[in-house]
Amino acid sequence: MQSQPLHKNNHTAEQQIQTVVIVGGGNAGWLTAGRIAAKHNCQAGGIRVVLIESPGVPPIGVGEGTWPTMRSTLLALGISETEFIRECDATFKQGAKFARWVNGAVDDFYYHPLVLPQGFGKADMAAYWLHGKTAADLAGPLSSFSNDLCYQEAICEQGLAPKTIRHAEYAAVANYAYHLDSGKFGLFLQRHCIEKLGVEHIQDDVIAVQSADNGDIAAVQTQHHGLIAGDLFVDCTGFKSLLLGEHYQVPFKRCDDVLFIDTALAVQVPYDSPDAPIASHTISTAQDCGWIWDIGLQHRRGVGYVYASRYCTEQQARDTLAAYVGPQIAELTVRKIPIVSGHRQHFWQNNCVAVGLSAGFLEPLEASALVLVELSAQMIAEQLPATRGVMDIVARRFNETFLYRWDKIIDFLKLHYILSQRNDSAFWRDNRDPATIPQSLLDLMQLWAHRAPGDLDFTSNNEVFPAASYQYVLYGMGFRSDTSRLRHQLTNWDFATAQLAQNRKMIDQALTLLPTHRELINKIRQYGFQTI
Amino acid sequence: MAHLVAIEPARHQQLYVLPEQVDVHAAGQNLIPVVPAELTHVATQLPVVLAKNGETGQFVLAALTGFTPNENLLLQQGRWQGLYLPLQIQRQPFFVGKATPDAEDYVVCIDIESPAMGQNQPLPAGAELLFLADGRETDFYRQAKQRLVHLLQGEQQRDALIEVLLRCQLLQPMSLDITFADQSTTRLNGLYTIDADKLAALAPELVVQLHQQGHLAAIYAILGSAAQIYGLIARKNQLLAG
Repeated sequence: MQSQPLHKNNHTAEQQIQTVVIVGGGNAGWLTAGRIAAKHNCQAGGIRVVLIESPGVPPIGVGEGTWPTMRSTLLALGISETEFIRECDATFKQGAKFARWVNGAVDDFYYHPLVLPQGFGKADMAAYWLHGKTAADLAGPLSSFSNDLCYQEAICEQGLAPKTIRHAEYAAVANYAYHLDSGKFGLFLQRHCIEKLGVEHIQDDVIAVQSADNGDIAAVQTQHHGLIAGDLFVDCTGFKSLLLGEHYQVPFKRCDDVLFIDTALAVQVPYDSPDAPIASHTISTAQDCGWIWDIGLQHRRGVGYVYASRYCTEQQARDTLAAYVGPQIAELTVRKIPIVSGHRQHFWQNNCVAVGLSAGFLEPLEASALVLVELSAQMIAEQLPATRGVMDIVARRFNETFLYRWDKIIDFLKLHYILSQRNDSAFWRDNRDPATIPQSLLDLMQLWAHRAPGDLDFTSNNEVFPAASYQYVLYGMGFRSDTSRLRHQLTNWDFATAQLAQNRKMIDQALTLLPTHRELINKIRQYGFQTI
Repeated sequence: MAHLVAIEPARHQQLYVLPEQVDVHAAGQNLIPVVPAELTHVATQLPVVLAKNGETGQFVLAALTGFTPNENLLLQQGRWQGLYLPLQIQRQPFFVGKATPDAEDYVVCIDIESPAMGQNQPLPAGAELLFLADGRETDFYRQAKQRLVHLLQGEQQRDALIEVLLRCQLLQPMSLDITFADQSTTRLNGLYTIDADKLAALAPELVVQLHQQGHLAAIYAILGSAAQIYGLIARKNQLLAG
């Protein structure tokens, strides 16, 4: 790609940000375009949002799991939940079930649900639970951290939905996110952004970048539509990272020394029958050299083996996937997707910011791809610089925020691996090697040897994974903080016991009230939710 | 559980209805579906609310008759205590259905499990036959069929009204905390009513439109019925006092 300086430098400090050009469609491009257009009311003629999409490039189409943030994102875009579920083959996700991660036994599993532990924030429930576990201080038999302190695990185990057809759009009994068909979601967003939010759509290839004297991007040259000028450029060009990576040469920071996975084998598995049960959580099952995701949509499951090619051959990986899916895999198409774990050294350079795969990628263990897109799009939309003069301040803050977030996600993903007792391959043993664990995580593990994770362990006011998530994974993986020295602090056993009783009560209520996941999906297709 | 059978003059010559037994069909329901045409009668004795059908989540228009799902304070000793009995109960034990599941035409059916029907001789006092000896329909049966027609038309008007209320965003959830004379309390959830503020802020042309479509009277009847909750609380207090 050529880079030609533009003769006239019109990028002065006072220049207002009036046109945002998004290069690349896909979920990242359309979510960013939609968030900016909705926030700045493009329909009413505020700023312009132009999205240039290469007509020949199919989206990568990974990332079928979301976070509960997607509910607020869809709301912010003015999207009906009923329409979204009907058109994107979407289902409900109430967290993740990690199977065979602890020791590989057939019945080894724990949950990372989306509902906070009962009593979280009111008392150090994890400390009470850890004590009660040994001292039998808490009434009733204890099972697991996630089941004793959260009613969502029982809902998932029973295949139930997080709400009923009588709940309004986006309202819930139990906190939820979605599973969705990534390709359909992209097209759905595209239509909504163009028809409802006033995003301008140009289908063309970007072939060159025109620079201004200050190094900003003045315009992008397209194949058939000439120069497209803008004040802010958003790079949503996927792994290619056309603007941030290729044009600005911002280095890519690999993290495969921490997270070993480098290949995905993905397959779409049809259901046996149209009324087959749908899991309402992501199932992640550990294998000898990685793990298999299993995501239930309305009409099919999305299944994939992510593994580290250093530890097994592609054929071995295909065999592992085949053993999981069963004989029907013979008739299905398995797609191989290379993964380079890591992210750009920074994400906002001059007047260009990268969102989505162009910014980086991590294995989908905690569905971090779409949530990072949402958080980026939200921050760009809400903190859109008024002028070029203040853009560098916004850029610096954006970079600080997202470098912190990527680091935290890497720590959190690694946490799943370092606590495993699996010994069936060098993949698992090497994952526990302290040399592969970030210092920040090693520090936290030392602190948590003596107490449970707490909110003050983290410095962001908008932490990606709250302390509760660390608790679910730590104690789900069998880790036990030695809290014996905290015993004198635990003075309110009545409260703690009541929390566990309350959780059991909520399990009973939820199991009585909630329909099966499939039943609710059918009702949404037939009747839809009300908006109130 | 209702068991519907299509009515055939030849087969149902002996069939009769006991009008006095019709009221018991209101037993065990605290929400009785109503249609707009009867709102003027209902709204002067009971609160009219909107609620969601448990199976479909779709809104229904209903008269509130109790404070718990199975409580009907209007029914005592099997007798409806109000001045006006909603069409949905009046129509018992007759329904509109299809003779076979894939038939196109509608036929009048009767619920053969209903305590309000019988066919054993001799005819009890007050029983109303459906057919005369020569096979012609009785006046009673003709009136019963007329009620079914009113109900069907009313349900279309109800659907149109609810569609308008949703489109104009005129509904709002209502949550009621009620304390009875014996100091026991209850909370009513899952009920909706008209948002008076939004109604007041409605664009004039929209108000005219609602009036011309016949919805405005229904909307005000629903709003005005809210005070009937006190009558219902009084009934509950009487019951609690024994």
